[in-house]
Amino acid sequence: MGKLQEMPPASAIALQMGAKHYFDAVRALLDVFAPRKHLHSIYVTATIPSKSIISALEVLDVDLKRTHFVDCVSSMMMGFSEKDEGAVYVESPTMLENILLKVEFLIRKLDGADSVVIIDSINSLAIHNSLKILSEFLHILINHLRSRNAYTVIFAMEEYTTEEVENILSLVCDETVNFTG
Amino acid sequence: MKERISVDNNEKNMISSRSASRGVAQAVEASDRVRCLTGIDGLDNILNGGIPKGNTTLVTGTCGTGKTSLGLEFILHGAEEEEVGIFITATETSEKLMESMIPYDFFRPKLLKEGKVEFLSLHELYKTAGISGPEIDSKGAASLIKAVVAAVKKRKAKRLVMDSVTSVCARLSTEDRIREFITGLSHALAKEGCTAILISEVPAGSDIYSPYGVEEAVVDGVVLLGNLERRGDLLRTLQVVKMRGATHSRAKYVLDLTSCGVLLAPLLKGGG
Ligand SMILES: Nc1ncnc2c1ncn2[C@@H]1O[C@H](COP(=O)(O)OP(=O)(O)OP(=O)(O)O)[C@@H](O)[C@H]1O
Ligand SMILES: [Mg+2]
Repeated sequence: MGKLQEMPPASAIALQMGAKHYFDAVRALLDVFAPRKHLHSIYVTATIPSKSIISALEVLDVDLKRTHFVDCVSSMMMGFSEKDEGAVYVESPTMLENILLKVEFLIRKLDGADSVVIIDSINSLAIHNSLKILSEFLHILINHLRSRNAYTVIFAMEEYTTEEVENILSLVCDETVNFTG
Repeated sequence: MKERISVDNNEKNMISSRSASRGVAQAVEASDRVRCLTGIDGLDNILNGGIPKGNTTLVTGTCGTGKTSLGLEFILHGAEEEEVGIFITATETSEKLMESMIPYDFFRPKLLKEGKVEFLSLHELYKTAGISGPEIDSKGAASLIKAVVAAVKKRKAKRLVMDSVTSVCARLSTEDRIREFITGLSHALAKEGCTAILISEVPAGSDIYSPYGVEEAVVDGVVLLGNLERRGDLLRTLQVVKMRGATHSRAKYVLDLTSCGVLLAPLLKGGG
């Protein structure tokens, strides 16, 4: 976590973790990293529905006032019924352009406030997309966020990270940080 | 759910992001024609600084692709910059169009009150031009151009949208008359320094730019709105097909209609 705190704005960081540390990592980012740096968080979930993340974090008493979700799984999983007005939705994790557009939408709504964009996770996105299109997506996203002085944090789950995924991360990110709790 | 994001604090952001694209426009102006910033950042970037001033651009696409929204946004952004805009509507009432402007973060009621945004019905213009029957002859077309230009002059309008030009074309019936009408209109508007968007409606499933095939040839610019199916996903797209007086990307972009207006992202190629 110390290494993460040291990164300057506009950095792109791969956050590598074991599955057992997943919620600790989410909490550390939203409850420690972002507030300390006075950042709004834009949380792109392609792993579990935003509702589930919100419920889990509320139990842990994490303040989510400055966290905004881009949810790429709920529409695909259960249609339009389980929606939360605090999230914006992308129909499917294969619509990577729409993820770019929703992130840009939220950044505009934040009116120039500093932010961190969290991608949860590269492994989930890799299930639904070819690695070629995925690296193109990350490249465009990170360059765009750099131009807006925002942080990018990309989750990589140790259990599912292949060599190819690792290569993409080392290509697009400035630093890989191992989260060990 | 909690405060999350407030909608009304967007003004500063719009101004800052727009002054950024103004920088681009100034750089371009030095060596190129004066530009009319659409205010849609993504589009202004594709055009390297907006539409060349006085150009007439066909915005074309099948139903529901965002043509009217793009036209309204063009007019609203102009009004913010003190440029009067006229929106000529054939089918939707001005009340309905005004209502659809309200959700925009950059909408200010005073723009309407100050007369910066003016809605005209095509029907009224037909009456002014003395057109009554279902068909418009050459004389009628000339009168219609006169009526439009008179409205532009009266308000010193710098932007105009006709939604849609297709409904006029349908009544002009022949290709020659359509060509004459659009050419005449675009020349007259250019003389007034008025940048225009003519909205064209094409039938679903077709890959043409306009129903009569003449429209796209005589206008200065063509912006194509469409849908793209990619392995079961339906994406909205925008492509600048031509724009006289500007160097521009011809690539396809993915479009989103939001309360911040039209947002654009490059279409990912993914090597295939
Ligand atoms: N600001 C907005 N936010 C979200 N959705 C929008 C917004 N503006 C428009 N839409 C949606 O996009 C759809 C198409 O918009 P629009 O009416 O601009 O398209 P159009 O090409 O003019 O359609 P038509 O062929 O019917 O005239 C609308 O049905 C509306 O639901
Ligand atoms: Mg329309």
